[in-house]
Amino acid sequence: MSPVFRSGLIAPAGVVGAALVTWAAAGPGWGLAVSIAGFLAIVAFHLWHIGLITAWARGPLDALPPEGRGTWADAFSAIYRRVRVRSAYQRDLKLTIARFREAAEAIPDGVVLLDASNRIEWANPRAHAQLGLDPDRDRGQPIVNLLRQPEFLRYVDTGDYGESVLVETNLDGARRTLSLQLVPYGIEEKLLLSHDVTQVELVARMRRDFIANVSHELKTPLTVIAGFVETMQDIELDPRQRARYLGLMHDQTRNMQRLVDDLLALSALESEHAPIADERFAILPLMLELSADAKALSGGRHAVELDLGRAASVSGSRDEIRSAFANLVSNAIRYTPPGGRIALAWRVEPQGAGVFSVTDTGIGIGKEHLPRLTERFYRVDRSRSRATGGTGLGLAIVKHVLLRHQADLEIASAPGAGSTFSVRLPARRVHPEPAADAAANGDAPTSTASPRETGP
Amino acid sequence: MSDHTSKQFDAEMEAIRSGVLSMGGLVERQLARAIEALEQDEDHGLIDAVAADEHAINRFQVDIDQMCAQVIARRQPTAVDLRMVLTVSKVVNDLERIGDEVKKVAYKAAGIRGNEGLTRTRNFDVARMASGAQGMLHKALDAFARLDVNAAAEVVDDDDAIDHAFNAILRQLISFMMEDPRTITAALEAVFIAKSIERIGDHAKNIAESVVQVVKGKDVRHASAEQIRAEVAGE
Repeated sequence: MSPVFRSGLIAPAGVVGAALVTWAAAGPGWGLAVSIAGFLAIVAFHLWHIGLITAWARGPLDALPPEGRGTWADAFSAIYRRVRVRSAYQRDLKLTIARFREAAEAIPDGVVLLDASNRIEWANPRAHAQLGLDPDRDRGQPIVNLLRQPEFLRYVDTGDYGESVLVETNLDGARRTLSLQLVPYGIEEKLLLSHDVTQVELVARMRRDFIANVSHELKTPLTVIAGFVETMQDIELDPRQRARYLGLMHDQTRNMQRLVDDLLALSALESEHAPIADERFAILPLMLELSADAKALSGGRHAVELDLGRAASVSGSRDEIRSAFANLVSNAIRYTPPGGRIALAWRVEPQGAGVFSVTDTGIGIGKEHLPRLTERFYRVDRSRSRATGGTGLGLAIVKHVLLRHQADLEIASAPGAGSTFSVRLPARRVHPEPAADAAANGDAPTSTASPRETGP
Repeated sequence: MSDHTSKQFDAEMEAIRSGVLSMGGLVERQLARAIEALEQDEDHGLIDAVAADEHAINRFQVDIDQMCAQVIARRQPTAVDLRMVLTVSKVVNDLERIGDEVKKVAYKAAGIRGNEGLTRTRNFDVARMASGAQGMLHKALDAFARLDVNAAAEVVDDDDAIDHAFNAILRQLISFMMEDPRTITAALEAVFIAKSIERIGDHAKNIAESVVQVVKGKDVRHASAEQIRAEVAGE
């Protein structure tokens, strides 16, 4: 006999016992009445429990089952145990799913789950940001309705997802290049992976542009020289013409020479990972050299001013810094019409930073050009730059030298109002000297050759 | 209608919608290329690409119009579906017109490229205005994909900004032309470019209004931005 059956019989047996006792004591009428009342009470007790369990079963999913009494206690506690076990199991499952989802969300690339008809099922936050998806609205939306780039549509249609496809996006004015790849999984479902390759593409593009630019810059003088050579081969020239042509050819070879020198300097600056020569040199003699160079370059066409601030020695590569400063000075001269003023200045700021600046009264630069000015071969005005003998690499060299010295380049300029180029050397590289004549720093190298020469 | 036919009908409607959006994607790329042509010093074959896109866009228009005509003839759609089909015809029309304007922008960009001085700075402003129009078009097409009336109302607002930008550029160009008559030819080209971009903004706005019309069933073409907002808010 099962325990439930046994305990279930206690109450009816009690009622029968009580009825028999009453019968004996007060006659059959009372006995019958007691037995009817007793059984009604038992039925009510059971109905009440059935009511309890029904209400629980219909109630919210996470409600715990009620407590039962008597016969029902065992049954209810068995249900209770079962519910507890199940909900613990579900909690584990939910936790596992949540962990997986968190992992998917943490992936630094965009991930979108697509169903058989390429509708969005789920996407991680990175995908929302990269692809411009709306987390609330876009479930069930065909992905091709939102990623409409013709390149992507063609990729989806081909059905060949072995390789990724590059698409351009423009969300809120920010242009990005994304590499998208579909990965089939499950039954016709797909994973869309998106990876931001904007920087990679930018570098590739700059490299392409650079090669095109170098070729172009070399081709122009070569064409000129080739033309003269041909002429001189074909035609007998009188000595004066001959000298003129040779002079022009010489100019062009000098341009090419300058370009190649600058390219070599730039590539040396870029490829040198070793720390720059740990020299220390006095700044004032360098300023005097620069000023003399400026006067020579100008040939008396400009007023060259020199404003020497506090004497200091600078730690860093003298040759590199000289080449950077000289580039700024020669730019100032080339872009300032005759009669203009070029002012070179050195000062040590109260916080200890050293500032070298070149101010000119030249043609100035529009603000839209400033961010790109240090790009190689970037030119505000092509015809002018080449006419004045620029290689298009000067400021790129300056930028690299300054990067290696943790220095900043500041440019203040407006078209027609002249420009000021300032180099700010960090305080830890600038050592102000107490005495003004301490400039006679004997061990400062005075070589003025290319920055290669004293490289480590 | 049996379950089978209604499923097929749904598929046809979906195909029409996706067709419009693929066409939109093409127009977006075309516009991006035209902006690149505005910003760059050299052509790099962008103009040819823009012209090729234009052909593809025209083909799309013919195909989608035909799909719409067939759905109307064969399925006799009603209510929302009918509104959708009719709206699609309008949206496709707007997209095709945008394609035309983009082509004009690209060709004229080549025309003013030679002129230094004026165009360097002007192109910069005009390209920025074009980026604004590009953003509007993208938002309008997203709103169409999602049937998102709020985003559509935003596009209608954005059109004001484009109109302001157009007026500002116009004023600047006029002062340039007064200062130096040699810039007039190039400045006029720049005016035409800005006008085309302003038209692109208008067409993007039309598309956004069409979205409101599909969802709300009300014609908001000549309503003000505030009225459209009220219409969108009144659920």
